[in-house]
Amino acid sequence: MSAPMTTRLDIQARVQQAAESLRVARVSRLLLSALACFVSVWAAATAIDTFVELSASVRQCVLPGAAVAASLMLWVGRAQFHAVTVERAALWIEERTPSLRYALVTAVDPRYAGRVPELDAHVNTHRYDDAVRSVLRGVLRGVLWGVVRQPVFVICGAVVALLLLPRGSVARVARPSPGDTLRREVPAVSRDPLATLVVVVEPPAYAGMPRTTSEDPSSVRALVGSRVTIRGRRGSDAVYATFDTTRVAAQDGDGRWQLTMTMPGASSVLTLASGAHRRLLSLEPVADSAPVVVLIAPARDSILRRPNGSLVLNAELSDDHGLASGAFEYIMSSGSGESFTFKSGTVGATEFPGEPKGHGTLSARLSIDALEMRPGDLVHVRAVARDRNSVSGPTLGVSETRTIRIARADEYDSVAVDAAPPPEPEKNALSQRMLLLMSQALEKKRRALAKGAFVAESRAIALDQTRLRKRVGEIVFQRLGESGGEEGDALDRRLDRPTNPDSVLAAADRATVANSGTALEGNADETPVVAVNRPLLEAYNFMWSASTELELGEPGRAIPWMQKALDRLQAARSAERIYLRGKVRAVVVDIAKVRLSGKDKGIASVRASRPAADPGRALRLTRFDAMVELAARLPSAAADSLVLLRLEVLAPDRDAAQKLEAAAAAVRRGGDVTAAFVAARRALAGDVERRAGISLWGAP
Amino acid sequence: MSADFTFCTVQYDSGDWDSAPLVPANLIDSVARYTSIRVAPTGVSVPLGSRDIFRYPLAYLTGHLPVRFTDLERRTLREYCDRGGLLFVDDHNHDVDGVFHKTCTDEIARAVGPMKELSNAHPLFNSFFTFEDGPPATSHELNGWGDNLIHKHLQAVLHGDRIAVLYSNKDYSSEWGYHPDNKRFMSVDNTKFGVNVVVYALTR
Repeated sequence: MSAPMTTRLDIQARVQQAAESLRVARVSRLLLSALACFVSVWAAATAIDTFVELSASVRQCVLPGAAVAASLMLWVGRAQFHAVTVERAALWIEERTPSLRYALVTAVDPRYAGRVPELDAHVNTHRYDDAVRSVLRGVLRGVLWGVVRQPVFVICGAVVALLLLPRGSVARVARPSPGDTLRREVPAVSRDPLATLVVVVEPPAYAGMPRTTSEDPSSVRALVGSRVTIRGRRGSDAVYATFDTTRVAAQDGDGRWQLTMTMPGASSVLTLASGAHRRLLSLEPVADSAPVVVLIAPARDSILRRPNGSLVLNAELSDDHGLASGAFEYIMSSGSGESFTFKSGTVGATEFPGEPKGHGTLSARLSIDALEMRPGDLVHVRAVARDRNSVSGPTLGVSETRTIRIARADEYDSVAVDAAPPPEPEKNALSQRMLLLMSQALEKKRRALAKGAFVAESRAIALDQTRLRKRVGEIVFQRLGESGGEEGDALDRRLDRPTNPDSVLAAADRATVANSGTALEGNADETPVVAVNRPLLEAYNFMWSASTELELGEPGRAIPWMQKALDRLQAARSAERIYLRGKVRAVVVDIAKVRLSGKDKGIASVRASRPAADPGRALRLTRFDAMVELAARLPSAAADSLVLLRLEVLAPDRDAAQKLEAAAAAVRRGGDVTAAFVAARRALAGDVERRAGISLWGAP
Repeated sequence: MSADFTFCTVQYDSGDWDSAPLVPANLIDSVARYTSIRVAPTGVSVPLGSRDIFRYPLAYLTGHLPVRFTDLERRTLREYCDRGGLLFVDDHNHDVDGVFHKTCTDEIARAVGPMKELSNAHPLFNSFFTFEDGPPATSHELNGWGDNLIHKHLQAVLHGDRIAVLYSNKDYSSEWGYHPDNKRFMSVDNTKFGVNVVVYALTR
């Protein structure tokens, strides 16, 4: 039986099949190579993370980066997806079957179809169909495996590596998330269960804030009432935490210790302890702010002529974590004198349900008619808002209060100024010189006056002399730090027996400027207190003697005392003249300004007082320097000290607090901490303040 | 900018040479205001016994208290005047006894030579502004010479026609002793004569 005849069409179909097979092989190799690239990158990153902890940001980039690399490989090899032509497939077959002698290429070429009978005969003679079929069976099979073998091996190797690497590390790279440092399985080099911490903060539900996770923080900053969970890498190992007077013991969870607490209302230091290990965390509570309420309308206090109509009320509300409700409150007071009545209420109450809203508005109208106000009545209006704080209760925010008054009929067109009388002048004290002149005149009239009238006039002068003496006594004892004022009788009792001025002055001197002053006037060994007050005390005593004589009806004997008193009063006036002369500041003339050839910057020469220097800054710097030295010997202790210092400066200097936190974290991480320490010290020392100078054109 | 003129206040060991600290700034302001002279914005204080004084053609000396020059100060002052400097002395003293006047004129006579009355027609009074009546009077002028008289002339030591020492009892130190920014409150600038002194010292 003769073999069936092979036609050209059969051969073409067979070569076409070979071309398809070749295309499948090329595409398969490309896809497998891309997959191998992806898996290799994943496995390599996991292996690196096992030995060197990769940061979360790096890990987040691993799988996307692997996908990008695989995609790039597909893009570069995209030509492999195109179909293989019949001619190329025939050539590829003839390369591997030299016995065909290139007749196959010619046989599948459509340009020679039916034109070359010898070729057809040759094809039949050499049974090309068999040759092609054998190639497809043998050669293609080997070729397919050859092209896909390499990527398949790479994929298998990477998968095996992933299976052998710690599952925690594989997951950390596959699904990076904050706080997954605990998944990383490291050799038990450190026995410190506090070496690695993950802190999870869950804010209160009312805040609507997401849960946050941080790894190895030095401080925990969270809303008051937040649930704070601290987890460690190892088992509990009797870990406990203390803050204020509270002690919380850790519990086991998934083979790791964890403790949960509520963020307190005040800053404090949380001390974690386990055996001999200690670690500090600063707890920095964030208080829920009260709603901010701004009363838009009425914009200012006002007076209404008539008690009718209505007030338009508008307010804007805002809160950091969501508003709960708002309203306008009013208080109306009416009446006069001691009879007042009050009426209060709310209008425009508004609720803010649903999702937390940080901003809102209130609008309402307050009917003056409904309040039944009368002339002279007042109504006080304010807006209030409450937030959603469910931990410590809703916080109340209030706006400014506006006062609306109904005018009285009698105050129209008047200026509301309360007239104040001028101060009462000193009318009841005659001068010592006048008393002296009166006494001298009385003494001259001694013979002309009857005894009784003479004595009566003398006693009248004595009364004035006594009044003046009390005035002088008040001045002296006010200066010496004792209460004078209206205690004239007490002064009299104190000086009923004229004392030695020196003893009084010595006491005052000891109580004030003893051993510190020098004489301004008078004797060189007198202090200012003595120099200024001695003449007045002496005048006081001379006046006493004068008034005693005048009381006895002897103005002639009183006159010498009065002259001495006047003389001492003059001395006291001289003693108080103190001239001080300061050093004049050097003046620099602005020549350009004088010649009007400069430019005026238009800046007013406003001088603002500089803030007082922080007395604690130098002390904090000294402590920081000690911590720098400590960091070389005891890093853990230095980190704890930095945390404590951070807590101290948190209120006055938040920037320095952040730098200190970074320094503490750097110390805990180990390695070079120079940059963090330099930044922290600069922040503690404070920046050099650049101040705009006084305008060159301003007044000095 | 280098300055053509720097106001120089003379320091001397006795007395209070710095009794009028605002006068230099005020005259600097006037020189800048009325002339195109390149003037330094601040003055300098130079000891009379220092040779630095030779760098300044005009030197201003004032005070309240008795003046006694040291030998070095006398020698320096004599050389300063011989070399063309002009010492402008103003009596800042108000006391009746004229203590500054008596002691200072005595010292100037010992160091430079006797002073004599300066004519009101002297070129000094026309060197920039014209003062036909001689030196302008001041509100502080009383009896600084101790003779209870208000003098219509200044005194000077002349080297030829040039003034070597110009001596004033007008108490310009008080008259001109205010901050130059306050000049805007005055209807007439009372420091113009100071400009004449400066221009004279720089041009003669």
